[in-house]
Amino acid sequence: MIDFWLQRFQKGIQTQNSWADEELAKIKKRLKSEIGKKFSGSLAIRMVDSGSCNACEAECNALSNPYYDLERLGIRFVASPRHADILLVSGVVTFNMLPHLLDAYEQLPSPKWVITLGDCTQGTVFKDSFAIKGPVNKHLPVAYHIPGCPPAPDEIIKGLLGFLQTL
Amino acid sequence: MRFIARFAQELPDHFEIIDVFDTKIEKTPIDKDNPEIETVAHIYPAAVWFERKIHDDFGIKILHTFDNRPLIHHERFPNIHPMRKDFTQKSIEQVPFHPYHYEVIEGDGIFQVGVGPVHAGIIEPGHFHFSQEGEAILHLEVRHFYKYRGIEKIVEKKHPNEVWNIIERISGNESIAYQLAYLELLIQASNQKHNENIQKYGAILLELERIAHHLVDLGFIPNDAGFGAALAYSSMLAEDTRRALKTLTNHRFGFGAIRGKAKKIDQNILESFLNDLESKIDFFENWIIEIPSLWDRLDTTGKLSPKKALKYSTVGVVARASGVRIDRRENSFYKKHGFSIQTQQSGDVAARFKVRLQEVKNSIQIIRNLLDFQEDSISLNAFEDGEYFSFIESSLGEVMLYLKIKDQKIDRFFARDPSFINWQALHLMMPGNIIADFPLTNKSCDLSYAGSDL
Repeated sequence: MIDFWLQRFQKGIQTQNSWADEELAKIKKRLKSEIGKKFSGSLAIRMVDSGSCNACEAECNALSNPYYDLERLGIRFVASPRHADILLVSGVVTFNMLPHLLDAYEQLPSPKWVITLGDCTQGTVFKDSFAIKGPVNKHLPVAYHIPGCPPAPDEIIKGLLGFLQTL
Repeated sequence: MRFIARFAQELPDHFEIIDVFDTKIEKTPIDKDNPEIETVAHIYPAAVWFERKIHDDFGIKILHTFDNRPLIHHERFPNIHPMRKDFTQKSIEQVPFHPYHYEVIEGDGIFQVGVGPVHAGIIEPGHFHFSQEGEAILHLEVRHFYKYRGIEKIVEKKHPNEVWNIIERISGNESIAYQLAYLELLIQASNQKHNENIQKYGAILLELERIAHHLVDLGFIPNDAGFGAALAYSSMLAEDTRRALKTLTNHRFGFGAIRGKAKKIDQNILESFLNDLESKIDFFENWIIEIPSLWDRLDTTGKLSPKKALKYSTVGVVARASGVRIDRRENSFYKKHGFSIQTQQSGDVAARFKVRLQEVKNSIQIIRNLLDFQEDSISLNAFEDGEYFSFIESSLGEVMLYLKIKDQKIDRFFARDPSFINWQALHLMMPGNIIADFPLTNKSCDLSYAGSDL
C-alpha cells in the first residue's frame, strides 16, 4: 500500500489519460455536448441481454474501464429500466427471454428509445432455430442499430453519438 | 470416478444414454416406445440438470429421481421434445402460463427473494431464488436457460465446417476454448496427427483469453466488496489483453482465429505486452494483498468444502480453489512449456481470487515458452463417420464436446460447459452467508450463462 502511495506522489494525480487516442477524445467531446443539449447532461441506459454469447456484455463493461471511462460523459448504465432513457438490447431474442424483454421495455418511462447492439439482434448468425424469436425489430420499435460482432467499445461510443445525432 | 456429463441421442431404432466419466464412457440403449432410465443423481448430484435436460430434449422419463421439474421448458414453453429427429419445426408459439415451482424453505418469518432474469448490472439473464431469514441466506435455487438458443439442434444436418460461426459464439468469454475443442474433434474425425505449430498457436490464444477473463474477475471481485479502485486498475489490464488479442487475431475475442491454421504473430509486440503485464500484475498483487478491510470481506465468504467440491463434480477455478486438482492442461505438452497447477485449500472467495491471480502469472510464463512456432495449416475436409470427444481447459474450467458424424454431416452435437456443472454447486456456498455476499460469491465463480444455456 505504501508503494502505491509513493508511486502516486511521484507521478502526481493524473486526471487525463495520457494514452487515450486523439480521435476518440474528439468523439467523446462531441458525445458529451450532444448529451448536454439533448438529455440535460445525463443519459441513462438500461441494458438487456436477450440471448447473446456474452461478448457484447463484456464490451459494454469495458466502456467503464479507464480507456473509455464513459461515465465521465454523463452516460450511466442504470440498474432498473424505470430509471432509463434508452433500452440497449443485445442478443438473438430467445423464446424464453421474449416476455422479459417486452416487460423491461414496458417499464421504461416515455419518451424512450430502443437501440440494438451487435449483429445477433438482426438475426444474422443464429437463425432457423425454433428457440429464437428475433430479430428485435419484430417486437420493439428500434430507433438505432450499432453493428459489430461484438462492436468494440469505441464502435459503441461512435454508435451512441450516431444515435444522438438522429434526434 | 469423476462424473463429467450425461446426455442422450436418438438412433434409428432406439435412444442411447451416454454417461461420460473421467476414466470411461458408458452407453445404455433404451426402448423408443417406452423410453425411461434410472437416475444416477443419488450418486452424482450434478447429474440432476443433465437428466432434466434429457427429459425436456427427448421426453425420456427419469425413474426414481428427486427432481423432475422442467429445465429448459419455461412457463410458456410448449410440450415438445426438440432433440428428437422427427422434430423439424422452425418456430414455436407460446402456450398458457404453467407455473414453475421453486424449491423454497418456508416458515415463520422466512421470506423469498427473487432476482432476475434481468439483473441490475450489465450481465447475462438468469434467475436466483433465495429463501431468507432476515439477512441470512437459507437456500438458493439457481434457474437458467433464459438464453436457450437451441444450438445443439441448429448444427444438426450441417457439414462440420459450416458451423464454425456458431461454435465461436457458444460463449464469448470461452470462445477460443470452444474453437480449440472443436478443432480437436475435426482433427480426430479427419484422421490427422497433431501439428505442433498449430498446437502452440492455439495454446497462446487460449492463455491470452484466460488472462483477459481472469483480469476482469480480479477487478470485479474487489469491486463487489466495495473496492472500486481494483476494478479500474485490472479492467485497464484486461483491455490491454483484448487489444493484444486483436493485434494477433484481428478480433478482440478471437472469433474466427482457429480454423486449422497457425498465423504468424509479431513476437516483439507480444513480448513487450507480456513484460508490461507482468510488472503491472506484480504491482497489483502487492497493492491488494495489503488491504486488510478487503480481505475481511473475501476470507471465509462463500465457502465450498473440498468434500462437496468433489461430490458435486465441480471443475475449473471453483474446484481448484477448494483443493481439487483438476486441470486439463496437466499433460506433457503444457508441463514442458511451464504449466504448474494452481490450487488453494480454503474454498472461499479469497481462494478463488488467489487462484486466478496465480493463473494469470503462470499463463504469462506459458506464453513466453510457446513463442517459437512457424506459420502452418492443416486441411480439414474429409471426415470419417464416427463419434468423437474432446476436452479443453477454458478459463472457467473443462469444456467437453461430443460430435457424431454420419454421412459427412453432424448427426449429434453436445457441449458441456464447465458452468453447467459449477452452477449446480453455487447453492452449496450460500449457507452461513448474508444476501449481500451473494454477488461477491457469484462473481468469484464467474460462470457463463450463454455456455450453460446453449
